[in-house]
Amino acid sequence: MRILIVEDDLQAADAMERGLTEAGHACARAADGEEGLGAARNGEFDVMIVDRMMPKMNGVQLIETLRREGDQTPVLFLSALGEVGDRVAGLQAGGDDYLVKPYAFAELIARVEALSRRRETGSVQTLLKVGELEMDLIGRTVHRQGKEIDLQPREFQLLEFMMRHAGQSVTRTMLLEKVWEYHFDPQTNVIDVHISRLRSKIDKGFDRPMLQTVRGAGYRLDA
Amino acid sequence: MRLPRIFRTTPFRLTLLFLGLFASAASAFLAYIYVATAGEATRRTEQEITREMRSLVGAYDRAGFDAVNQSVIERAASERSFLYLLMNKDSKRVSGTIEESPVEKFTGQPTWTSFQVTDADLQGHVTRHPARGLQERLSGGEMLFVGADIGEDEAYVEKITRALQGAAALVVILGLAFGALFTRNVTRSMAGLTTVVEAVRNGDLAARARVRGTRDEFDELASGINEMLDRLERSMAGHRHAGDAIAHDLRSPLTRLRARLEAAYLDVEAGKGDPTQALAQALDDTDGVLKTFAAVLAIARLQAAGTAPDPIVFDAGAFAGDMAELYEPLCEDKGLDFAAELGNDLPVRANREFLAQALANILDNAIKYTPSGGAIMLRVRRRSSGEVEFSVTDTGPGVPDADRERVVERFVRLENSRSEPGAGLGLSLVAAVAEAHGGRLELAEGPGKVGEMGPGLRVALVMPRA
Repeated sequence: MRILIVEDDLQAADAMERGLTEAGHACARAADGEEGLGAARNGEFDVMIVDRMMPKMNGVQLIETLRREGDQTPVLFLSALGEVGDRVAGLQAGGDDYLVKPYAFAELIARVEALSRRRETGSVQTLLKVGELEMDLIGRTVHRQGKEIDLQPREFQLLEFMMRHAGQSVTRTMLLEKVWEYHFDPQTNVIDVHISRLRSKIDKGFDRPMLQTVRGAGYRLDA
Repeated sequence: MRLPRIFRTTPFRLTLLFLGLFASAASAFLAYIYVATAGEATRRTEQEITREMRSLVGAYDRAGFDAVNQSVIERAASERSFLYLLMNKDSKRVSGTIEESPVEKFTGQPTWTSFQVTDADLQGHVTRHPARGLQERLSGGEMLFVGADIGEDEAYVEKITRALQGAAALVVILGLAFGALFTRNVTRSMAGLTTVVEAVRNGDLAARARVRGTRDEFDELASGINEMLDRLERSMAGHRHAGDAIAHDLRSPLTRLRARLEAAYLDVEAGKGDPTQALAQALDDTDGVLKTFAAVLAIARLQAAGTAPDPIVFDAGAFAGDMAELYEPLCEDKGLDFAAELGNDLPVRANREFLAQALANILDNAIKYTPSGGAIMLRVRRRSSGEVEFSVTDTGPGVPDADRERVVERFVRLENSRSEPGAGLGLSLVAAVAEAHGGRLELAEGPGKVGEMGPGLRVALVMPRA
């Protein structure tokens, strides 16, 4: 995956580049908004990671400009600002996701990978298929090896999200945000319980577990 | 050149302005009085002269020159007389009280003139009075002049003028005096406030303005400033306390983290052992530190803003239902009986995310502290006051009455809860969220002691009516 990092904090950009490169991605960097605009216009990227506060042209202005020009590359905003209004403003400007500094690196990778997948599955799907697992989005049914699995509505949404991001790590925060639409940080392992319930339904009685726990990151659904 | 201080004060400038305005108004008023009174006196004299002239001309027309001559001689002898001069056809004096006519050029028409008369009293003092007179030609060609001493009128007008001048001087002097007094008063009232402001600027947050109890604007300003300083001082103290508390609370996990990393490093350097376990633990420690940070930041922002950002109106029951759905499995896992009693049609106006965080913190606490086999009840209802109450009741050990206020403070954790994870910010954040929405946090005893259970805790987040 080709990733453009637009970040004026060079140390942070270094760390990001190193981590993303190790995770198998190719990175390009820009040190401020104007440089970022030039790089985005001249290159093809799968995802852009954009810091909100930068000299010359801030992240929001940069993305607004690109979106006006028709550039639809998925954007992950990074910000030291964590207020509710900031995230909303970032998303309204055309950002696709928003991560507050400081963040766990696993969180960054998971979100970047989730964004890239999002573009590939742009068309409307009615059937999701991950290995033996099949989800009918219209009939609201799930089958594994042809056997129907009975899910609660929220479990269905949770599994749908995991299936759309199959093979990728998704973090607990991402699940809370995307499935429950809450943007807070629970003190307890509230997500883990829901995952373990889902796991008992889709993995119990089958020879091979599909829903994996990724240490330090979250969960992953493997085919 | 610098003006003396008093001239630079706003009240004094205002005084001068008002004095100027008042003086103009007074001048116009006095000028009117002058014109009205002084003009009136002269006009009255002229009327009298005219009447006298008509009477004499009437006598002439009825009875002829000799009769008029007789009248002039008689009237000239009376006590308070007019000035008379009767002249024959050759303009020679026939009778009267003056020697010659003061009218220099007589055109034949009745002519008014102003002139001076000299008057000698018994002691021989000669005085000159202003006078006014009318000369007319009689139908036979003789000339009659009637005049009057208007010295008394003039003196009267002069008196009025002098009185008016005095009044004007008085207005200016009194105005300046009152202005100075007013200025001094205001300056003195301001001086206290200025002293306080200066003291605060120099870092003395404990300085307070004196409230004199006069309930005027200055008192209002002084108590306003004092209230502001109280708030500022509390907030500064809060920040200081938070700073200390953060330092205290972060020091131990950071120390732990450092020790773990150091041990792992030494192990790897010595070529023994797998550092994975230590690194994983270090990551967990770091997450804990970051969570504490996030909570402190959220509280600080809410308190700094005073109000919650982006409030929307939504149904409290449905909102709590979503939360219940999120937390119910966790309770079940811990062997807790979870029940929710959610009212209908309870609109609240709030920032959804902060409210979710607050309710989550309350539920987190309840789940954390209630032992297996206990129960947790989430309830949303409208109080008789119209407020909407979110309450979570548990059957855990509860919080002793004496500690209930304290547990809401930042970083306060009761002794028996130190073993549990968490930074002690949960309820502080709930309180901050409640306050930012104009609501409040209430802690009370739960359902009471039943066997091993209880007495429990009832935490209520009370939101104002939407």
